[in-house]
Amino acid sequence: MQNRIRMLWCMIGLAIVMGPSMTHAYEVGEVQEGGTIQGQVAFLGSPPVPVQFKVVKNPDVCGQERSLMKVDVRNGFLTGAVVVLEGVEKGKPFLPQTLAGAAPGEGTFQHQGGEALGLQVHTKGCNFGPFTGVVAADQPIQFGNQDSIKHILHTFVAKGQKGSILRTIHNRDIQPDDEMQLTMSSKKLQDSRMVRFACNRHDFMENWLYVLKNPYFAITDEKGQFVIDNIPPGHYTLRAWHPLLGLQEQDVHVMPGKALGTDFAFSG
Amino acid sequence: MDTGNVKWITAIRNIGIGLLVCGFFLGTGMKKAEAALLEGLLDGFEETLGESAAAKGERLTIGNFYQAERPDSHAPIGVMQDHTHNKGEFMFSYRYMYMYMDQMRDGTDNLSINDVLKDFAVTPKNMTTQMHMFSSMYGLNDTVTLMVMLPYIMKEMEHQNRAGVNFTTNSSGFGDAKVAALWRLYAFETPSIGSHRFHLNTGVSLPTGDINPTDNTPLGNNSLLPYPMRLGSGTVDLLPGLTYTGVQNDVSWGLQGLGTVRLGHNSQGYKEGNRYQVNTWGAYRWAKWISTSARFNWQQWYNIKRKDGQLQTTIGPLNIPLVPTADPDRQAGKRLDLMGGVNILFPEFKGLENHLSVEAGAPIYQDLDGPQLKQSYSFWVGWQMVM
Repeated sequence: MQNRIRMLWCMIGLAIVMGPSMTHAYEVGEVQEGGTIQGQVAFLGSPPVPVQFKVVKNPDVCGQERSLMKVDVRNGFLTGAVVVLEGVEKGKPFLPQTLAGAAPGEGTFQHQGGEALGLQVHTKGCNFGPFTGVVAADQPIQFGNQDSIKHILHTFVAKGQKGSILRTIHNRDIQPDDEMQLTMSSKKLQDSRMVRFACNRHDFMENWLYVLKNPYFAITDEKGQFVIDNIPPGHYTLRAWHPLLGLQEQDVHVMPGKALGTDFAFSG
Repeated sequence: MDTGNVKWITAIRNIGIGLLVCGFFLGTGMKKAEAALLEGLLDGFEETLGESAAAKGERLTIGNFYQAERPDSHAPIGVMQDHTHNKGEFMFSYRYMYMYMDQMRDGTDNLSINDVLKDFAVTPKNMTTQMHMFSSMYGLNDTVTLMVMLPYIMKEMEHQNRAGVNFTTNSSGFGDAKVAALWRLYAFETPSIGSHRFHLNTGVSLPTGDINPTDNTPLGNNSLLPYPMRLGSGTVDLLPGLTYTGVQNDVSWGLQGLGTVRLGHNSQGYKEGNRYQVNTWGAYRWAKWISTSARFNWQQWYNIKRKDGQLQTTIGPLNIPLVPTADPDRQAGKRLDLMGGVNILFPEFKGLENHLSVEAGAPIYQDLDGPQLKQSYSFWVGWQMVM
């Protein structure tokens, strides 16, 4: 009897320790007859004008004035919307990719790719990178500061409608030419899918990232277009997200070797 | 066991208690070192505030303890432990304090020298206290900021006896070192309601200050000086407290309650009375580099328990009380000070943030369990450097 009780306690212990790591981890594997989803994200109405900032801290490095275009609309189509395919548990690896921030900033979000996203944030010209991007929970993010000034990186998990509640995750100084590694733990994210980066010293340094669970995503280009390829056939949920405009989703059925066209439209 | 051994054992015991208390607070803090202690426990409050913020087109931010680089990001210089630091941040502070006490008082009534000399052989006439305070703060993690303070104190008291002879006594040396842990509790902000931050103050004062200072007096050379001239309490003291600070646009404010709770009796056989204080302040930022402040400081302190058996308290065959400062039952009091201050933030230099601050003021109310010297005025000058 005592042995059975011991065994039960061992199993409970194992479940507690192993439980979190056994839930829905994405697995890289071969994709047979992968399908493609492509489309465009439109914007209806008048987009908000870029926010103008008079630079108070370090104007010698950051410039006297900066602007931040939070909703980037060109010819009626939305640039920088994050389109993700939810529900894929096995498939292609994360692809190497570099996403550049808006000029005059030179910051980039670089994805190393492979079995993990491998996000590297290269801060340059008082810019972390593009206004929107993606991040993966429980994976290390490498932050580098290539500026000659200190930045104070403040990361938040966003909750509520359009991220109306921001909860601090990290608040760290990054010294000039320094690097640090941080992780967005799933415990901290609390099922939220939005993360915000900001610099406490420079108001115009702001970025929003969608929390990915797999490599099937795209960020719309200057024509509002996106392509997600090499998708294992099946039924999924396709989401389009913009931090200021919200989230839209559609159920999609990916057929073997076929391309599926689907569009989204946000309004201002 | 001889007296020397008892003193050592008492000192070791007191330091042990202090370390245990520190260890307890630090140990429990490690479990939630990634966030403020109340984060995640106020979801309902956050939802309500978040909805209200969203209705105004704003966002609610939780857990931002960052103090923007502004002159009033630190409280008036006379306030200690007023803010926390982000992980890895270090701050060095130097403060100079000057306090002048003049004229005897009992209750709220002023007494003349002759009034005091009717009952005592000697009366204090005035006293100056100067303090050089060195302190450091370090952001250990996202929950705890550690603080260490070491004061160097110089005291001078002038007296007059019944024969009309004036004499002065001095004491100087390091005071009681303090080790504190500041625990982030909760912070929230929106553009329309400003930012509001709460932290818990815990700390221990260690008995490093001299409680046996001596000087030459008419009674003889190297006479043991009375209680107000001593540089420490001689006991391990707990320093609990709670601090709230707020900022909106060019205005900032704060409210802080701090206590000094004595543990046990010191090696001289007495225990100083507990001391409690409440600070409340408001500041206005006139420019990016300068702010001014007004502060009320309420203090209440209690009489000494037991007494120093080696301290002479009477004189002559008639056992005339020697001096009020040697009477353990004439040490308590309460006082309300009004202080005005200026904080200056210097341009960043090699990544260092430098603050220069001054503050001065005087009591607007003091009720002393006297006869005791009443405080006339005090001022602080301080320099703080954040790395």
